[in-house]
Amino acid sequence: MNAAAIKPAVETVRVVSNDRVAEGVGLMVLHAPRTAGLVQPGQFVHVRVTTDSAAILRRPFSVHRTSEDRIEILYQILGTGTLQLAEKRPGDSMDAVGPLGHGWEIEPGTTHALLVAGGLGAAPLAMLAERLAERGIAVAVAHGAPTASRLVARRVFEQVARRVELATDDGSAGEKGFVTGPVARLLAEERFDVVYACGPEPMQRVVASMAHDAEIRCQVSLERLMACGVGACLSCVVSTRGGLKRACVDGPVFDGEEVIWDASQTPPKH
Amino acid sequence: MRPRVLGLRASRLRANSEERTRESARSSHAEWTAREIAVSSAIDMRVSVGGLELRNPVLTASGTFASGREFADFADISRLGAIVTKGVSNEPWSGNDSPRIAETASGMLNSIGLQNPGVEVFVERDLAWLAEHAPDTPVVVNVSGHTAQEYAAVIERLESESSVAAYEINISCPNVDAGGMTFGTDCVSAAAVTRACRALTRRTLIVKLTPNVTDIADIARSVEAEGADGVSLINTLLGMAIDADRRRPMLARVVGGLSGPAIKPVALRMVWQVARAVQVPVVGMGGIMDGTDAVEFLLAGASAVAVGTANFVDPAATIRVLDGIEAYCQRQGVARVADLIGALET
Repeated sequence: MNAAAIKPAVETVRVVSNDRVAEGVGLMVLHAPRTAGLVQPGQFVHVRVTTDSAAILRRPFSVHRTSEDRIEILYQILGTGTLQLAEKRPGDSMDAVGPLGHGWEIEPGTTHALLVAGGLGAAPLAMLAERLAERGIAVAVAHGAPTASRLVARRVFEQVARRVELATDDGSAGEKGFVTGPVARLLAEERFDVVYACGPEPMQRVVASMAHDAEIRCQVSLERLMACGVGACLSCVVSTRGGLKRACVDGPVFDGEEVIWDASQTPPKH
Repeated sequence: MRPRVLGLRASRLRANSEERTRESARSSHAEWTAREIAVSSAIDMRVSVGGLELRNPVLTASGTFASGREFADFADISRLGAIVTKGVSNEPWSGNDSPRIAETASGMLNSIGLQNPGVEVFVERDLAWLAEHAPDTPVVVNVSGHTAQEYAAVIERLESESSVAAYEINISCPNVDAGGMTFGTDCVSAAAVTRACRALTRRTLIVKLTPNVTDIADIARSVEAEGADGVSLINTLLGMAIDADRRRPMLARVVGGLSGPAIKPVALRMVWQVARAVQVPVVGMGGIMDGTDAVEFLLAGASAVAVGTANFVDPAATIRVLDGIEAYCQRQGVARVADLIGALET
């Protein structure tokens, strides 16, 4: 489906389940039939977590997986919004604007894809891995996290990918160190048509550079603080070779070659 | 939540009939709702702002609605009283470094810095889109500049564009170093910018005022004396937020403009003061989230209102506010919304 043809809307979504899946990480399943039917990998929903008047802004969450009438989101508890999200119970309703944003592109002729997932960046890549596998595209994944329990999409990747390489900061799973270790090995051993990355920005910057050196197209997904989510407020701008672009509508997925990396970007805390 | 179908126009009701049927089925107010709708067509929502005749008093606050296109999937923008555009400068401006926003209690800070592609791109892209998609909705162009000459250059360029109905002169943005708020905090410079713009146009000229002054009524009188047809207020309140863990400011520019429900009491007070100080109409804004908030501004003396930060919270906020004002009028037996202007009983 053409991304331009997907019209976002405000949908009332209902919590089906909301569980802690790792230290500080929640997995929420939402009944969201409209969004579930339209959302493409890399797109997000902009959730009004609370209607109390103290925290007014929505929170953007990339869609982790979908089923017939449900979407899943993985979230890290970092601030007031995600803390309130963690307190939601099955049956609670919220409203979500979605699907929003420009997701990952699967170019015709793609046969081999490398997915690089850092921490919670694995969330949207899980859906991408599933969609790629459905199309018969061979998927390899490099999945990194601080520790084994935070390899949040490991099981999904192991179900659909031909090869999954792990890295943890503490060595509790896979190799000890950054995910860029396995990435270098995979790039040296195999041929890929495309690299898809999501995770901390410094990681994505390095991965984009490695893909550049290997002459492989790299699509990164960038996170920014966001207010409107629909392209109006210009809070979430990303510096690119084509000028300032909006992470909410022009992104969050950008071509790695296009991004002018900014070392001072700190991750949003919401 | 109560169904928000009060006061919808008949055409929209037909379009939404399926949704309404579902709402009504759920609602014990179904019968009552239908009766209210029948009355709604009787309410005269028209207001006038400095020669600009508006079909209703709901405007968009500059910088929160782009030029409307981004909201067209969520709200029928052709129902708005007017669309006030994002600030337009003569040359492209790239705005400030990120982070540009921070959420604060009942509001938010922004330091976008008037990022815009300049008046030429605005004409080709935004004005052209508006002329096609909202041909009957007045367009108020928010004009920004670093110097009086830069404000003048934007107006000179736009005078030949027939789809522009009015100008809002932004002498109140706290997020740029030169121009912006520096003009709006001093009676002499506020008057000078107004004079320069007035000399170039016969269109409705609204001057947008900053609350970051000792006496906003003085500034309002100064721009009125130079021929402003109206004043709009308030722009954001200068504020700051700090991340204590990192011992750093939340915004790259350190300070920014506070908006949202947190500022509504300040905004209401200033609208009330200014409306009593000048003869020209006031466009009131600052934290309007629903129809009742909007009515409060009308009662305080505003002839029209603008919805700002609420657009970020609810992309259909403008229409919700509009329907909420109509619903208020129905409940209160108000036949003309203009009767609410300055109707505060003290």
